[in-house]
Amino acid sequence: MRILFFAHLKDVTGQAEVEMTTGELDADGLWRKLIATYPGLERFRGSVRLAKNSEYVGPDARFTDTDEVALIPPVSGG
Amino acid sequence: MQIEIQLTHSPIAAPLPPAPLTGAGAWVEFRGVVRGEENGQLIAALEYEAYSSMAEREMRRIIGEIAATQPCLFAKVIHRFGVIPVGEAAIYVGVAGKHRAEVFALLTQFMDRLKQDVPIWKRRVLTAGDLAKLQTK
Repeated sequence: MRILFFAHLKDVTGQAEVEMTTGELDADGLWRKLIATYPGLERFRGSVRLAKNSEYVGPDARFTDTDEVALIPPVSGG
Repeated sequence: MQIEIQLTHSPIAAPLPPAPLTGAGAWVEFRGVVRGEENGQLIAALEYEAYSSMAEREMRRIIGEIAATQPCLFAKVIHRFGVIPVGEAAIYVGVAGKHRAEVFALLTQFMDRLKQDVPIWKRRVLTAGDLAKLQTK
């Protein structure tokens, strides 16, 4: 799957996007995988929402390797 | 309802009102402008970042939801990203409808929702020195 990082999460991970092959995961599994790779993400988990294929998803979402997943920190547009 | 969304790196020009819409009696416009101060510090510009495909989709979704209770005829949103100097618009919203009440309501509710849900970020604050360095690159 393609994972996108925005705003300060780019600084935390050192990249804007990454490809990961994980098989099917739920949101908790995805977070555990991401934090294992980028431990600095852990403190942001409570404030970051997940989006799958450009739509916000909840904690019961499931992700596959064909999905585009974005980590959305609190927004500040306008 | 007709909805036009545009994300752009370019300065936001003043759009013209929509072509005459049957029944429109109100046309309101809003521009959100970069202030010269951020958290008490004098600044020269802000840098905005967007997840463009999702931002456009979210803006359409939000306008559609609000229009269910505030029916309007037309909405146009232009959000600029990249480096935006102080005094220039980061966002333009124009809304047309039959009466002013629903047009004002849609505009204000949209701006509130945008600031909660649309994936656009103020990425960086630039001082006059930062902006000068960027402009000489």
